[in-house]
Amino acid sequence: MAGQMDDWGQLLAAANAGDARAYAQFLLAAAPILRGLVRARGGSLGEAGCEDVVQEVMLAVHLKRHTWDQSAPVRPWLYAIARYKVVDAFRARGRRIDLPIEDFVEVLPAVPDRDPTEAADMAKMIGMLDGRSEVIVRKIGLEGATMAETGLALQMSEGAVRVALHRALKTLAVLRQRHIE
Amino acid sequence: MKTDDLIRALAADTLPEAHVSGRLWLVLMPALAVALAALWLTLGFRPDLVQAIGNPVSLMRWVLTGALALVSMRIALVLARPEGRRVVRLWPLALVAGAALAMLTWAYVTTPAEGRQMATVGKTIWTCLVAIPVLSVLPVGALFWALRRGATTAPALEGAAIGLAGSGAAAAVYATYCIEQSPLFYVSWYSLAIMGVTIVSSAIGARILRW
Repeated sequence: MAGQMDDWGQLLAAANAGDARAYAQFLLAAAPILRGLVRARGGSLGEAGCEDVVQEVMLAVHLKRHTWDQSAPVRPWLYAIARYKVVDAFRARGRRIDLPIEDFVEVLPAVPDRDPTEAADMAKMIGMLDGRSEVIVRKIGLEGATMAETGLALQMSEGAVRVALHRALKTLAVLRQRHIE
Repeated sequence: MKTDDLIRALAADTLPEAHVSGRLWLVLMPALAVALAALWLTLGFRPDLVQAIGNPVSLMRWVLTGALALVSMRIALVLARPEGRRVVRLWPLALVAGAALAMLTWAYVTTPAEGRQMATVGKTIWTCLVAIPVLSVLPVGALFWALRRGATTAPALEGAAIGLAGSGAAAAVYATYCIEQSPLFYVSWYSLAIMGVTIVSSAIGARILRW
């Protein structure tokens, strides 16, 4: 367990220093744990509904990654974000949920395989972005295009694409919040 | 959208976000400078400022308010981390409160009975109770602005810590004007003003520090 935590710390530290590959590895490692937790707690939401919540948590982790203190372990930080967002998500769906922190420690990656589920909410939010931001998120996320390819397609510099993507992801969270309230 | 697709989009966004503490100092210092300038332009500094700083009993007002501001800021920064609620240590606040209470008790004992009321009421209660909250607006606003980038999981508590830090600093600024000598005055009324700001900040925090 401690070894795993160290791995996560290294990955997230590298990610915060700008290493996209380490960051992807970190997110891919965290996703099944979060999914296991959400499914154990919110089976009544259905698979797609659970995946919506997982994606909300992932987006929150992304936007708050700078709040991780490198001298502190990653897991308590990650679980605290997950707990906050899961409670929030269930509240938004009209379900009260009591989530003791111990549950997070006991949860094992329940679904270690690739996730087959399509979630609907995030796609809806992306559709609400302005046209160019929407294209950028789709190209990079769904089509797996690189920054350079996206820039070429939209006649933007790579730097401008970077900034636009960064802003678009922040906007997604704001849209999500508004959608809930 | 599949989660793997989302992860690809997230991982591509490698633009770094500034650390919360860096942003905090960046905005808090100008906010305090403006508050100090505003005080100087409106009420002015006390004429015997230099002697007041040299007098230990009078100096304690800056020590206490400064300590309150620093301790609360530290707490606010810890609470800005998602797991902060579980690791934060609040006892330094009790230490500052204890020191203020000790000051108050000491002043009560050493002030002759017939002089206590005058020392407590002083001449500037209303100036104090209005000026400290007004001077708090900028520092508290700056702290909210910086800590909204954090990820607190205890928004009301974080708001209270921000209120204590901002109004503690504002009280230290106000002390450069305050001509009242006795801790009976400054511990009592500064505390009341600070508590008022803290309650309001806590309510604001509960609303705007959600994410």
